[in-house]
Amino acid sequence: MQPVISALNLSKTYRRGTEQVHALASVSFEIGAGELVAVVGPSGSGKTTLLNLLGCMDVPTSGDLSIMGHPTRGLSERALTRLRRDQVGFVFQHFGLIPTLTVEENIRLPGLFSGKQVKHRAAELCTRVGLDHRRRHRPHELSGGEMQRVAIARALLNEPHLLLADEPTGNLDSVTGGSIISLLQELTAQGLTVVVVTHNDRLAESAARRLVLEDGRLAPSI
Amino acid sequence: MTRSELAIKNAARRPLRTAVTVSGVAIAIAALFTLLSFQRGYQSGVQGELSRLGAHILVVPKGCPYDAASIALHGARWPCYLKAEYLEQVRTAPGVGTAAPVFMNALYDTAGEQTVYVGVDRDIAGLKRSWRWSGTLPQQEGDLLVGSDIASRRGWALGESIDLPGVPGHRGTVRGLLETTGGADDGFIYMRLADAQRVFEHPGELTHILVRLSDSDRLDQAVMNLRGCSAGLEMNVVPLTHLFKTISNLVSSTRLLMGAIVAIALLLGGAGVSNALLMSVVERTREIGTMRAIGASRPDIFRLFWMEAIQVSAVGGVIGSALAYASSRAVELWLRARLPFAPTDVLLGWEWGVAGGCLVGAILVGSIAGLLPAWRASCLTPIDAMRTQG
Ligand SMILES: Nc1ncnc2c1ncn2[C@@H]1O[C@H](COP(=O)(O)OP(=O)(O)OP(=O)(O)O)[C@@H](O)[C@H]1O
Ligand SMILES: [Mg+2]
Repeated sequence: MQPVISALNLSKTYRRGTEQVHALASVSFEIGAGELVAVVGPSGSGKTTLLNLLGCMDVPTSGDLSIMGHPTRGLSERALTRLRRDQVGFVFQHFGLIPTLTVEENIRLPGLFSGKQVKHRAAELCTRVGLDHRRRHRPHELSGGEMQRVAIARALLNEPHLLLADEPTGNLDSVTGGSIISLLQELTAQGLTVVVVTHNDRLAESAARRLVLEDGRLAPSI
Repeated sequence: MTRSELAIKNAARRPLRTAVTVSGVAIAIAALFTLLSFQRGYQSGVQGELSRLGAHILVVPKGCPYDAASIALHGARWPCYLKAEYLEQVRTAPGVGTAAPVFMNALYDTAGEQTVYVGVDRDIAGLKRSWRWSGTLPQQEGDLLVGSDIASRRGWALGESIDLPGVPGHRGTVRGLLETTGGADDGFIYMRLADAQRVFEHPGELTHILVRLSDSDRLDQAVMNLRGCSAGLEMNVVPLTHLFKTISNLVSSTRLLMGAIVAIALLLGGAGVSNALLMSVVERTREIGTMRAIGASRPDIFRLFWMEAIQVSAVGGVIGSALAYASSRAVELWLRARLPFAPTDVLLGWEWGVAGGCLVGAILVGSIAGLLPAWRASCLTPIDAMRTQG
C-alpha cells in the first residue's frame, strides 16, 4: 500500500542574519495509513519545523516530500494550499479557535474555504468528539479539553488522510490530556494517519511508533 | 455560515472601533449625499423657476443691477424702469411670439410684511401656460388676481373687496384666484398694467418685458434682433438659458467648496477604514495563520478582509444617507442664507438615485481602503502567522 507520507532527505535551513540554522538535516522516513506516530525530542530539535513541512505550511530547503503519493516539490502556493486543505488536518497547542464563532461554526470553518457542503458532517463531528451539548457555545465558554476537541473536529471536517498535531496536550492537565490521547487513538483505529509532536510521555508511549529528533536529525528509532 | 457573515462577526468583535470607523464613513457619505442632492435640487429648482416664468427672454432696463433677473423671478422693488414705448419695438422684432409688459413693485405694510404687486396685460396668459385659476384675469380697474399663498394667508375670497396691503388708500377686488404654482407667483398680487402704473405713480413705464419666441430654437437670432432695434441700447436682453448658466456659475464656488469638503471627508473616512483594518490584521495574525493551516488560500484571506472593509463602508453609506436626509432641512436653511440665488423649490430632498450613488460611493471607498489591509493579511506566510503570540 502507498505510504501517506514519504520523506526523503528533508532539510530545512533557516537564515538568522548571517548565521544558518539547520533546523532539519536530511531526514528520511515513511508513514503508512492508520499509523499513530509521535515526534519527540528536546526543545529546538526541529519538531515543529518537521510538522510544518509535512503540512505543506512551509517548503523544505532540500529533499523530497510526497503526501498521499503527490510529490510536493515545485508546487505553487495555490497547489500547496489545496493539498493542505484536502489532505491534511491541523491541531495546535493553542487550539486556534476563532473566538467570535460558535463551536459548530468553528468546526464548519474549513468548509468555507473548500466550498463543500459540511453542515451535516459538522453536526456529526460535534457528536463524535462529545460536544453535542456545546454546539452553540463560544470558545471562551469551554474548558481547554473541550476547545481541543473542537479543534480536532475542525481538522477532520474535510476528511483528511493525515492529522498533524503540535503538542495537542501541551496546555491541558493530565486527565483532559488523557481524553485527547484516547480520541487520537480512536481516530487511528478508524484508519486516520496521525503525526503528533509531544512532550507528553503518555502520548508518546501510546504511539505505535516514535520519531526521535536531535538537533534536526532523526535518531535511530526504538 | 458564509464569508460575509464571518466578516460581519469580525467587525462586530470590536464594536467601539467599528462604530468609530463607520461614523467616519457615514459623515463623509452624508456630505456626499448633501452635495449630490444639492447639485440636482438646485439645477432642477432653477430650471423649474425659469420655466414657470414662461419666457424665453427677459428684457430689463439697462443700468439695472446685475440681479435684475432674480428680482423678476422672486419679486422686489425695482430700482429702474423701461419706457413703455419700447414694448412695441420688442413686439415687432422678428422671432418674437408674445411680449408681455410687466410693472412690478414690492411694498412693506405696517407689520413689515412684503407684498409684491405685478401689473400685467392680457398677454400674460400667453406666457404663463401652466397657470390655472378660478374667476377671471384682471379686466377692469381694480381687478386683482391673487396667488394661492397670499390668498390663504390673508383669507381672501373671490369677489371680496380689499385694501391693498402696504398701499394705503387703494382698494381692489379679488376677481381671480390662482391655483398653487409652486413658485413665486403664489405670493404675488396681479393687477392690470395700467392700474399698477397709476397706483405706484410710474405712468408709461415698465419694469421688465417677458418675451416668448415663436420658435425657441432661434433664440440667438431673436436676441440679436432685439439688441439691434433702436431701443436696444436702453434695454438689457437676457436669454434665460444664459441666465441659467449665470445663476449656476454664481453657486459654483459654493459647489466647489462643498466638493472639496466631501473629497477630504471621503479620504479621511477611507483612511479610518484602512487604519482600523490594519490594526485588526495585526491583532488577528495568529488567527490568519490558523485559517491558512486549515485550508484558506491567500485569496480567501484577502477577500475576508476586503469584504469587511466594504461591509463597514456600506453600513456607513446607509447611515450617512439617512443622516443627510434627517438634517436636510437644517442644512437647506443654512445654505439658502448663503446662496446668491436660491430657487423657491426644495433644494435638498430624498432621491433614490442620490442614495444609490452614495451607496456605490461608499462601497468604492471601502473597496479601495480595504486593499492595503487585505493585501497585508494575505501576504502573511502561514508559519510566520502561526509563530506570532496572541
Ligand atoms: N523562522 C525561523 N527562523 C530562524 N530560526 C528558526 C525559525 N523557526 C525555527 N527556527 C529554529 O529552528 C530550530 C528548530 O525549531 P522548532 O520550532 O522546529 O523546534 P521544536 O522542536 O518545535 O522546539 P519546541 O519543542 O521548543 O517547540 C530552533 O533552533 C529554532 O530556533
Ligand atoms: Mg515546537
